[in-house]
Amino acid sequence: MSALSAPPVPLSRRVLPYAMLSPAVLVTLAIVFLPMIQAVWMSLHDYVLFRPKSFDFVWFKNFQTALADPVFWISLRHTVLWIVITVPAQMLLGLATALLLNQEFPWRGLARALVIIPWALPSVVIALMWVWIYDSNYGILNDLLLRMNLITASIPWLANPDTALYAIILTLTWQGFPFFAVMILAGLQGIPKSYYEAAAIDGASSFRQFWHITLPGLAGVLMTATLLRIIWVANSIDVIFVMTGGGPGYSTYTLPLYAFINARTGLDYGYGSALAVSFTLVLLGFVILYLRRAGRNIG
Amino acid sequence: MITTRLTRKVTAALMASTLLAGAASAQTVNFWYHFDNADNPMSDLVAQFEAENPGIKVNAENIPWNSYYDQLYTSLAAGTAPDAALVKLNALPRLLEMEALEPLDARLDAWEGTAEIQDNLLNLTAAADGGHYYLPVQYVVLYLYYRADMFAELGLTPPETCEQFRDAAIALTRDTNGDGQTDVYGFGFRGGKGGHDHWASLVLSREGVGFGPGELTSAAGVEGSQFVVDLFRTDKVFPPSAPNDGFQEIIGAFKNGTTAMTIHHIGSSADMVATLGDKVSAVPVPECGGGRWTSFGDESTAIFSSAQDKDAAWKWISFLSSPENNAAFNVATGQLPVTKTDSAAWDLHEARFVEATVNSLPFATLLPNVSETADFANTVWPVAMQRALIGEISAEAMNAEIDSLYNK
Repeated sequence: MSALSAPPVPLSRRVLPYAMLSPAVLVTLAIVFLPMIQAVWMSLHDYVLFRPKSFDFVWFKNFQTALADPVFWISLRHTVLWIVITVPAQMLLGLATALLLNQEFPWRGLARALVIIPWALPSVVIALMWVWIYDSNYGILNDLLLRMNLITASIPWLANPDTALYAIILTLTWQGFPFFAVMILAGLQGIPKSYYEAAAIDGASSFRQFWHITLPGLAGVLMTATLLRIIWVANSIDVIFVMTGGGPGYSTYTLPLYAFINARTGLDYGYGSALAVSFTLVLLGFVILYLRRAGRNIG
Repeated sequence: MITTRLTRKVTAALMASTLLAGAASAQTVNFWYHFDNADNPMSDLVAQFEAENPGIKVNAENIPWNSYYDQLYTSLAAGTAPDAALVKLNALPRLLEMEALEPLDARLDAWEGTAEIQDNLLNLTAAADGGHYYLPVQYVVLYLYYRADMFAELGLTPPETCEQFRDAAIALTRDTNGDGQTDVYGFGFRGGKGGHDHWASLVLSREGVGFGPGELTSAAGVEGSQFVVDLFRTDKVFPPSAPNDGFQEIIGAFKNGTTAMTIHHIGSSADMVATLGDKVSAVPVPECGGGRWTSFGDESTAIFSSAQDKDAAWKWISFLSSPENNAAFNVATGQLPVTKTDSAAWDLHEARFVEATVNSLPFATLLPNVSETADFANTVWPVAMQRALIGEISAEAMNAEIDSLYNK
């Protein structure tokens, strides 16, 4: 028995992986986990920044306040709309783009490079650009719609509470679809050509090939990309903040934005942290799903 | 040989570190300010100051206005604040509550420049306890800009009362090119952050209306906010984008002829004249409900209690409020100088804008000198006004929200 067992691994060899990992782990602990714990701690206190001396432990008072706060529920509803419209829209647009870019055509390399532009631009630039597109006085969108006689008067897309959120969702869809396109394109190239050849010989139509070969082949990529995007889109406030600042009224408030405005502008870090922590708990389900997938892939 | 080389290296390293230490011992004043226009004169003023005060280095940083106070308060709480900064009076109570300000009384008493500051400015910028923490550096008063050519075309005179203002705005709102679309709006209302001055001129002017208990929720107070909401929703004399509009939008719309009136101060007059020439003029804001209210726009400098070298910081801020330097500062900001010498020699603005400013001074007012004013201006007013404009809440509910902020 003992002759069969592997020779003992020397201590230095066993320590080495931990030593190599520790810088990254330490940095992550310092810049991610420490602030997270701090946020949880602050959420249990009355902590208003311009009264730095009063830091009273109040248990779950801030969370109770949030549950009774109508703006919390308005923001939560907007957050749900924000995610369930933006992510599928980005995915469908990304899928269509990837299928197109997977075809053989001249200048395909250039098209593949150009499609990444919205993803590569800084969010603030995108937000400012779209503010101009939507502008009711000089905006190109109103101008086009007026010229095509689709509307009779300019629509103040971002100042109208019925359109503001959807206008921003369109902007974010445009910004995020290249991510899906690139991921799916990579996935498409991993599907062996022989599958399609075999299906064609068996007389499968293009749609059947897409349904039975392409989609199952992409399932893994789609799942991972969607989970990642849900987490990113849910947390993203930069575009909303620049385009409307949450207005008009509460029309474009999402939960992370509400937490941000409370903490940064209202200087109420206790309540702001409680909002952020509540939202983290809501998102945790998706995070766990993603981590399980990531863990399984590595395993 | 090796020893010599090593000795040389060590000596060089020692010399370098001594030099670095020497440079670090020069006093540095970190200063925050906010200028809208790109051609700001700070670097010239800094260079001049550094030449006059060897041994003091000024690190002046232009912070974007939209997040100026967010950044200032958080940096003060985090202990990374500048040594001195440009500050407005409505921030004073909150800064005092944070114990962030250095008292300036002793320095003002000892400074020969104090006598140069225009008479009432130091009183206006004093804290509630009578102490001084601010040194004035510029001021403006808000008034009504109007398109003289459009008024002449329609045979209108600049409005003196709210009723005339509404009538003029309705007449000015029209389709000028015959395409069936309104292309000129009577008034460019600032519904976004910073627009409370527009609202206040039309509401707080009314008799008995202020921030005291029940004043905004009184019949006169509600009537005032309802007047603003009706101008937008019923008379449709504001551009449709008004609920979100900020400084850039109202000034841009006025300059390109989309609006015929708006409220701002002399700081934008040079820009307006450059675009519109004689077509733009100004008068004091109209009288509404028996009184007038306009905003006194102040800007001062202050030293923070956390400042490393308060004497150096004082030298820098007092430099900015001294004759000639103060003029140079205000030439760039387009506002009015605070020193008597510079005011007497002031010829930067057209007479009609200076006149509108001077005529507005008797009723120019500041928002309440309490901590809640920061929340009023930053969050409560913009959200409540936007919701009232888009019809989510009534004018009464809007006023009640502001009333409950000030009178908890």
